[in-house]
Amino acid sequence: MPDELSSAIEAETEKPTSAARAPVIEPGEPTDLELMHGIQREDPDALSKLYDRYNGILKALILRVIHNESEADDLLQEIFMEIWNQAKNFSAHKGKPLGWMVTLARRRSIDGLRKKQAYARAEERLQSETEQQPDAWVINTTAEEITFGDTRMLVRKVISGLPPAQKEAIELAFFRGMSQREIAANTNTPLGTVKTRLELGLKKIYDGLKELQHEL
Amino acid sequence: MTGSKNYSMSFDEFQNRSRLYVIGALESDELDEFEEARKEFGQKGEDFISECYGLHEAFALSLRPAKASSSIKDRLMTMVRQKQQRG
Repeated sequence: MPDELSSAIEAETEKPTSAARAPVIEPGEPTDLELMHGIQREDPDALSKLYDRYNGILKALILRVIHNESEADDLLQEIFMEIWNQAKNFSAHKGKPLGWMVTLARRRSIDGLRKKQAYARAEERLQSETEQQPDAWVINTTAEEITFGDTRMLVRKVISGLPPAQKEAIELAFFRGMSQREIAANTNTPLGTVKTRLELGLKKIYDGLKELQHEL
Repeated sequence: MTGSKNYSMSFDEFQNRSRLYVIGALESDELDEFEEARKEFGQKGEDFISECYGLHEAFALSLRPAKASSSIKDRLMTMVRQKQQRG
């Protein structure tokens, strides 16, 4: 799986063409932070705009965890409702709105996966999906791709540079919510090796993103 | 390495643990040590943890966007408006 993943990513890697940041907001459009403030003031239009901007990314994240289209749609709706209900807890000092939403969506998705005791089914689906579509970290060209284009390419460039074993460990931890011990058991790898792979892989991504941010 | 109070964590190690922490991959003994160190490093530690949450955003941005059912937004906005009406 990881080798196929790497190949697919490398095959699609393109060079960034401009210094855009994600997301590119059209002139006159509110920023993410302005939308969050709108939601904090209980303005439904702000939630509507934030939904339009990010539903595709959050749905992709949810799907990556639970591998079920209709459950993912239901969860997406619940997550945006939680964004509405919990917006007062968002603080710009602690990070950007997208980071906050992704953290919330990932937690809800992994909770949902555990509650439904769907590990076994998800395992089968993941296996099947991976065989058919070995590009979990690769994206197609869509309207959203254009909007998020440069940042997405840069992120992909960083992730594609990871050794497959490190990529796999991070994938299992982030998208499957597995602990180090679970990853070790799942991949028949010594616990210490899993820890090292996670530490090295995450550091490379973290450092790579920082470098690329400076390039932009 | 089992939560000893005498174990003093370097900031480098704290940074490693922070990256694991934000993706939920710390084991329970590591988590205890991390929380101890977090108190020691104070604001500097909190600032670094906040930075690490940028990894979440990066992972999400790296995925192929998925199309949501068109009825989801309608249901969501109906729920929001009903909630507002209930006060």
